[in-house]
Amino acid sequence: MEGAELELFERGIRRATDSGSGAALDAALAGLGWRDALAEDRRRAVSVLFECQGAANVTSSALSQLLLVGLGLGPGDRPTTVLLPLLRTRDAPGRLQDDRCVVRGLATSDLDRSETVLVVAGTDHGHTAVALPPSELSRRAVGGIDPGLGMLELDGDVAAHGAEPGGPVDWTTAVSLGHLALGHELVGAARAMLGLARAHALERIQFGQPIATFQAVRHRLADSLVAIEAAAALLAAAWDEPSPVSASIAKSSAGRGARTAARHCQQVLAGIGFTTEHPFHRYYRRTMVLDQVLGAGTVLTAELGAEVLRSGTLPPVLPL
Amino acid sequence: MELEAFKVALDDWLGEHEGELAPTYGGSGTLDEQMDHLNKVKRLTFDAGFMRMGWPERVGGLGGSSLLRAYLGEALTARDLVEPGIYSMPEVLAPTMIDYAPEALAAAMVPRLLRGDEVWCQGFSEPDAGSNLGSLMCRATQTDDGWRVKGQKVWTSLAQYAHRCVLLTRTGTPESAHHGITALFVDMDSPGITVRPIETMHGAQEFCEVFFDDVMVPLDRLLGEVDGGWSIAMDLLPYERSTALWHRAAYLQRRLQQLISAVPPGALHPSAVGEVTELLWAFRARSRSTQRRLAAGDKLGPETSVDKVLVATAEQAVFDLVAEGLGADLAGADDAVSRRWRSEFLYSRAATIYGGSAEIQRNIIARRLLELGGDR
Repeated sequence: MEGAELELFERGIRRATDSGSGAALDAALAGLGWRDALAEDRRRAVSVLFECQGAANVTSSALSQLLLVGLGLGPGDRPTTVLLPLLRTRDAPGRLQDDRCVVRGLATSDLDRSETVLVVAGTDHGHTAVALPPSELSRRAVGGIDPGLGMLELDGDVAAHGAEPGGPVDWTTAVSLGHLALGHELVGAARAMLGLARAHALERIQFGQPIATFQAVRHRLADSLVAIEAAAALLAAAWDEPSPVSASIAKSSAGRGARTAARHCQQVLAGIGFTTEHPFHRYYRRTMVLDQVLGAGTVLTAELGAEVLRSGTLPPVLPL
Repeated sequence: MELEAFKVALDDWLGEHEGELAPTYGGSGTLDEQMDHLNKVKRLTFDAGFMRMGWPERVGGLGGSSLLRAYLGEALTARDLVEPGIYSMPEVLAPTMIDYAPEALAAAMVPRLLRGDEVWCQGFSEPDAGSNLGSLMCRATQTDDGWRVKGQKVWTSLAQYAHRCVLLTRTGTPESAHHGITALFVDMDSPGITVRPIETMHGAQEFCEVFFDDVMVPLDRLLGEVDGGWSIAMDLLPYERSTALWHRAAYLQRRLQQLISAVPPGALHPSAVGEVTELLWAFRARSRSTQRRLAAGDKLGPETSVDKVLVATAEQAVFDLVAEGLGADLAGADDAVSRRWRSEFLYSRAATIYGGSAEIQRNIIARRLLELGGDR
């Protein structure tokens, strides 16, 4: 997609994310043919939707659908939730041993619309996927810092032979696609925080002038933009030169960008940004969780550094 | 020639000629040694055709995309064949001549710069005009015999080696600010010019004070329009933040790799190594899209301030990591390798000062990219 077609797609997606969340957004995305777009132009489908989703602070089942594609299993016809690892880690949420599958992971709020939970399970040789009815697993609602996400922690120890164990699946590729999606969502949310802080700085009058005239305020907003643009550039580069390392760097940098933007924007928003009367807190909460999904930013960064030190070699560079 | 073909041809050629192109001195060498070596590398790459690629034919180039220049600098820097700061100066000076000098002057002069036959400097900053460049006072008065220049410049890189200077002068009233500035192309051997090198804390005399005492400059050495110098300076600054910064990224990457290879096990924390790598990769990702836009003919503008903030951040992060891993050598060792780490660590402290300070870049971002209006 490019030019007018891309613009039309962007406008449609933005209208959808601005007007509904959860089941309503899923329905709107189905109407817009987002899944076809995912098949035809994965980069645009993912970057546009997830940035808009982050900017509008809404949820959908798109991450599950994307992970299914990454696993080589979808998007299927039956509504399926792909179980995420617990926060902080990117290890697959299931473990297959003998004829049992031990499961512990996080489901997104689309679980109540799904017939199936797909659990990726580590084996001695790699990964496989096990499809389970949601009722097979016990669930606990995760409140946490962002209850609006409606996440659920699922766990269970189920007989694997009754659970349709499939062939090998590519968890690494699925995680990398997830990293890109989450990176775009973080960038979208961070841009929204910057937008809120910018608007406040131009409206808020102190000492007889908008606080946007003060260099201390301007530099915080400038630093926020730099951090966001750095993440956006890494995401673009990771699409250009796809690899697990480039996706992981993009995701952890998007988390860092969001943390930087949140810190500066909250300070600029000052008192009002500390209340629930202003929308800032929703974005802050959301980015705190997204930064932890499929590997916390700090964990990914430490893993990258450990690998550099172990191998004595920097990761491959982006060619000109 | 397309980029991919250029990469192959250049890499082959560099492989064959590496011995001839490598510096003969150990460590950093003195600035004199560095300059001699730089001019030799420029001559060899010019004569082999590589240095001419990406520059217009009317100034001795062979045409082609600016990406070729970006890759040449990257390849030379990655192999440690040139020091990127002094190598990349033509990326700023040559486009200025191409865009603003009379055609014959550009055609005669630019090849000398590219081939390393001449060194040029950029006379912008003054003792009382640093970040506020629009307040510069070095006076040029038009006479029948030419421009009479009187005043002083400072932080003029390589002025003691320079044959020519792209000089910003005040031609309007002292209050004319950026409206009354004119750019001249000055021969550095003109009577009345005195150059005094300044010793910096990293141990080089890269910067100079330059005094102009009734220096006569021919009328045909005008660049652009009378009182039109500000737009030249503004057009030139994005060049300073594009190709030259790509070269710098290659240098930082080489030094980070050398640090990783040099540190004893356990000396660096994995999180710190990961973060510095990510910061450097972020700059490279950002700069790559800037190189693409430049090559596509886009006019670069204030968005390149983001590139500049990112490269300065990455440079200081890389050398903060050097201080973490090799702090004892940095502080107390006197061998050539340690002296080089020390010199480059100290130089990295200036990354947020030169070429438009970190604060000026943030002011540009706030005003032009975030559209926050004027400041106080």
